[in-house]
Amino acid sequence: MSDYILQQAFNALSVGGEYALLALGLAIVFSVMNLVNFAHGDMITVGGYAMFLLLMFGVRDPLLVLPFGVLMTVAAALLLERIAFKPVRNASPTTGMLTAFGASIVIQNIALIFGGSRPKAVPTADWIASSISLGSVQIPIVQVLETGVTIAAIIGLVALLRYTTVGLAMRAAAKDVPTVRLMGIKADRVILTAFAISGFLAGLAGIFILARRGAVDPFMGFAPVLKAFVAAVLGGFGSLPGAVVGGFALGIAEVTLQVVLPQEIAGFRDAIVFFLIGVVLVFRPQGILGERPDFGEKS
Amino acid sequence: MSNLVQSAKGALLLGAIVALIAVAATLFAEPFYQRIVFIFMVNLIAVIGLQVFMGNAGITNYGHIAFMGIAAYTVAILVTPIAIKKTALANAPFGLAGMEFGIWTSVAIALLVTVVIAFLVGSMLVRQTGTPASIATLALLVIVHVVIMNWVDLTRGPRAIYGVPVKATLGWAAFCAIAAIFVARLFRDSRWGLQLRAASENIAAASAMGVRIKRLRLAAWVLSAALLGVAGVLFSLFVGTISPRSFYFDLTFLTLAMLVVGGVYSVSGAVIGSVVMTVGFEITRYLENGPSLAGIKLPEMFGLTGVFLGVTIVLCMILRPHGLVGGDEIDEIWRRRSQDRAAGGDVS
Repeated sequence: MSDYILQQAFNALSVGGEYALLALGLAIVFSVMNLVNFAHGDMITVGGYAMFLLLMFGVRDPLLVLPFGVLMTVAAALLLERIAFKPVRNASPTTGMLTAFGASIVIQNIALIFGGSRPKAVPTADWIASSISLGSVQIPIVQVLETGVTIAAIIGLVALLRYTTVGLAMRAAAKDVPTVRLMGIKADRVILTAFAISGFLAGLAGIFILARRGAVDPFMGFAPVLKAFVAAVLGGFGSLPGAVVGGFALGIAEVTLQVVLPQEIAGFRDAIVFFLIGVVLVFRPQGILGERPDFGEKS
Repeated sequence: MSNLVQSAKGALLLGAIVALIAVAATLFAEPFYQRIVFIFMVNLIAVIGLQVFMGNAGITNYGHIAFMGIAAYTVAILVTPIAIKKTALANAPFGLAGMEFGIWTSVAIALLVTVVIAFLVGSMLVRQTGTPASIATLALLVIVHVVIMNWVDLTRGPRAIYGVPVKATLGWAAFCAIAAIFVARLFRDSRWGLQLRAASENIAAASAMGVRIKRLRLAAWVLSAALLGVAGVLFSLFVGTISPRSFYFDLTFLTLAMLVVGGVYSVSGAVIGSVVMTVGFEITRYLENGPSLAGIKLPEMFGLTGVFLGVTIVLCMILRPHGLVGGDEIDEIWRRRSQDRAAGGDVS
């Protein structure tokens, strides 16, 4: 029994890690330019299809394919920023959100036109799918890796924000963009860095999503990112620590419900999780770590 | 009072456009196009319902179609004859399998259910503002979809409910659309509508002036859901077969694109956006199926309609973030123009 609990605990950590990685990417972009990036998940889709293409051309070495996927996810993030988000940079948050929403529909349907609606197999490395034994417990390597990579990424991000100039600029931009520009820092550079980081985190999460699913399809990015959005709201929208806490909280809640719920109503899991979060937000509208909205400020 | 007359006049103008489309379709169009016009009316009511909340409260809503689905399913489950229920919904809970309601009773119950659910959800939702509220509406869409997909005894799950009596006509749809225009326009120009829009511009100033923001947002939310319920009921009673897919992202994208392109802040925007996007959407759908144009066979491109919707939204946000119509109603724009012209005439 305790083995089972330990296994599920690892499962919860890895699912939470995936949501945390995605929610962090959303929060970084939001904190710097107030953009709610609905197309975040579709950057993963782009990365996934890029890996599929590379495999079609006969490149099978995971050490080439996986980094290529992450790289293309970053490229997709930067390209989206240039094409779609730069023109609406100074517009209202609603305009930005709808732009991202439109961009998301475009990417999904381009993938649909050229790739068809059926999933395409993208095998990741075999060793990712195997398990390791911890005493009597079998833990899939993908879960260990995912938890580890999430923790490493969080540490890396904290270091970047704390010890580099661009990190300092990003922290400052989250509070006051005009002043950052007055200090002689190019807004463009800060924003592109934010998108690159968010794309990189999405790429990492994308690899783990692919390792679980084993295939790409046009709408694969949507469900995880919806969860990440909910996690970000739960943690406190726009707060980086909040994104991490919200991500792990959502992962733990999901896995707990999956274990506890009887078979007949297991299909309702997502509805129940979302509803519970709704109830939490009734009592704490600003989320777990969010600050009370300052009326009249960014909202 | 003169305000009320003005907005009724504006609504009359928009209603006339809708009536014209309906009459033209009844007199001249073939059944295939009449069907398109009927669906246009349903979508128009949905878009107007969306405008009532989005345009006044200033919160982007991705969950409106959930209410359309709730109403459509409720009316279908109530009104379907017992004979059909024996095969389709034999295990329906609450004894519904052995019950059959009249058309008006079913419609009334469906709208009541929709409004009650909207009130409960809305009471939770209005505690949020801005982006978190928008994401909550998206979560609502997913929750309702998951429930419809999984409550198999009540909804047949992913399979369609069939055999719903086809009772709705184009005339009824047009009547409801015109009524929706009047309701939305009067709400927009009422004190409450004005207070809501003031609050969406500057929440601190509005609450300092004594605007009861949460209560008004809840009212707009419930009114919006009621209009979407009407759209759902009409859809169910016209198509006769409904499935969960009908009330999910495809329709959400389409109606949202219609409103955004026309202009979120006015009822005129909702109407004009619906017309423009329906025309564009039908043309793209025709191209999507790979027709032969001028002797050239075009390839099938499943997904083209989606690209059209997405590109239109992005371009519109970049070039005309307030939509084709902008922030004012068309009658207001005309009145101002003619006043300007009169004033200009005086000067010269």
